[in-house]
Amino acid sequence: MIAIALILGFLFALTAETIPCGPLYALLHPDFVALLLLYWAISSSSELSFTIVWLIGLLQDMVLGDVLGAQAIAGVIMIYLLYTGLGRVRGLSSWEQLFFIFLLLLMQRLLVWLWQAWAGAITWHFSLLLGPLIGALLWPLFTLALDYLRHALRPRHI
Amino acid sequence: MPALFFPRRYPPLLRVAVLVLLTVFVSVFSEKHPNMESVSLTMAYPVQWISMQGTSFWQQADNYLQSRAELESENIRLHAELVGVEPKLLEADILRNENRQLLALLDSIPQPPGKVAVAQVIAQNFSPSSQLLIVNMGARAGVFVGQPVLAAGGVAGQVVGVSPMSSQVALLSDLDSSIPVQPADSDTPLLVDGRGNIDSLAVPFQPRNTALKVGDRLVTSGLGGRYPPGLNVGTISAIVRNGDHSFAQIMVQPAVRLGQLSTVLMLWDTLSSRPAATP
Repeated sequence: MIAIALILGFLFALTAETIPCGPLYALLHPDFVALLLLYWAISSSSELSFTIVWLIGLLQDMVLGDVLGAQAIAGVIMIYLLYTGLGRVRGLSSWEQLFFIFLLLLMQRLLVWLWQAWAGAITWHFSLLLGPLIGALLWPLFTLALDYLRHALRPRHI
Repeated sequence: MPALFFPRRYPPLLRVAVLVLLTVFVSVFSEKHPNMESVSLTMAYPVQWISMQGTSFWQQADNYLQSRAELESENIRLHAELVGVEPKLLEADILRNENRQLLALLDSIPQPPGKVAVAQVIAQNFSPSSQLLIVNMGARAGVFVGQPVLAAGGVAGQVVGVSPMSSQVALLSDLDSSIPVQPADSDTPLLVDGRGNIDSLAVPFQPRNTALKVGDRLVTSGLGGRYPPGLNVGTISAIVRNGDHSFAQIMVQPAVRLGQLSTVLMLWDTLSSRPAATP
């Protein structure tokens, strides 16, 4: 049940990344896939497989039509960095986690940007900072909604 | 979740390092092999299909919920527009006939107009690095790489990747995009480059004393044979001349509202699908 919910969640996140809603949405929308990965890593009791994270990133690259591997490697490094300080992050409330989430999302976005810059021409744009900022501000709401969903989907043993 | 592919006995840093190397390999491989584009478009299609269903569902719901008053006022407005457009259509017919006669006098073969088909935009990716659309027409509908893509107002871009069911369109504003143009009232060959900004393009390499003016309309010149000549590209919106740059910085506002596209026209032009004529 949880596995199906996760697959559906990632499908929704990928769809939300590319849904044609005009340039303002494209400029401001946070990286939903990265947010979902972070939530999964923080809330799951077992450790995420880096390979799975990498494959999800690769699918995201394919959907976005960017350089293959950019999101994949940024996702893996983001989750690795999260794991180095997981104990500390887990103990915080979602409001206090917001700051760490912002740093991780920003680092992820910059890695994607660097990877694309390495593969071809690219320019700097201030909107690179906006996505992570909005993503981090949405984090408390995001965790609240997903906690509720996870609670509702939890298998009950009678 | 069991550890897939990677046994967990290796330290995390080593696993990350292996994945970094794998990513370098995948990136280089996909840049070297152009048909990887088609593979990734095909892989991405299921996700985009869901997105397409979602969008069309919203559109239907929106249409359904529109009030009668709105529809009536829209109907009146459209009727008024139609009355205005009908004489222009007649005029276009007359001009087309006249043009054919003139071409015959010049001893050149008149070109039959190309074929167009409407495609729906199913995904977008606007970032500073790429300005891409995915549309729901692919190789099965006859779409090919390099095909011109139009929209209301003029040129929107060109096809850069094709899979059986969908294709990837690079907009004029994409960093890799460049299109041969000329001013509407002269035949100076120019280029219009994308800069990664959805509502501003640029004309590169023009001297600071260029004769171009703000407000000049730019149309495709047909050089290179990819786009048919005479299609609207944009209007010059600003020219900056200062000592810091050796060239004038010329901004162009695209004729098409590139950020708002929900449908585009795929053009099969008789000129562009034919190999370049040899003199």
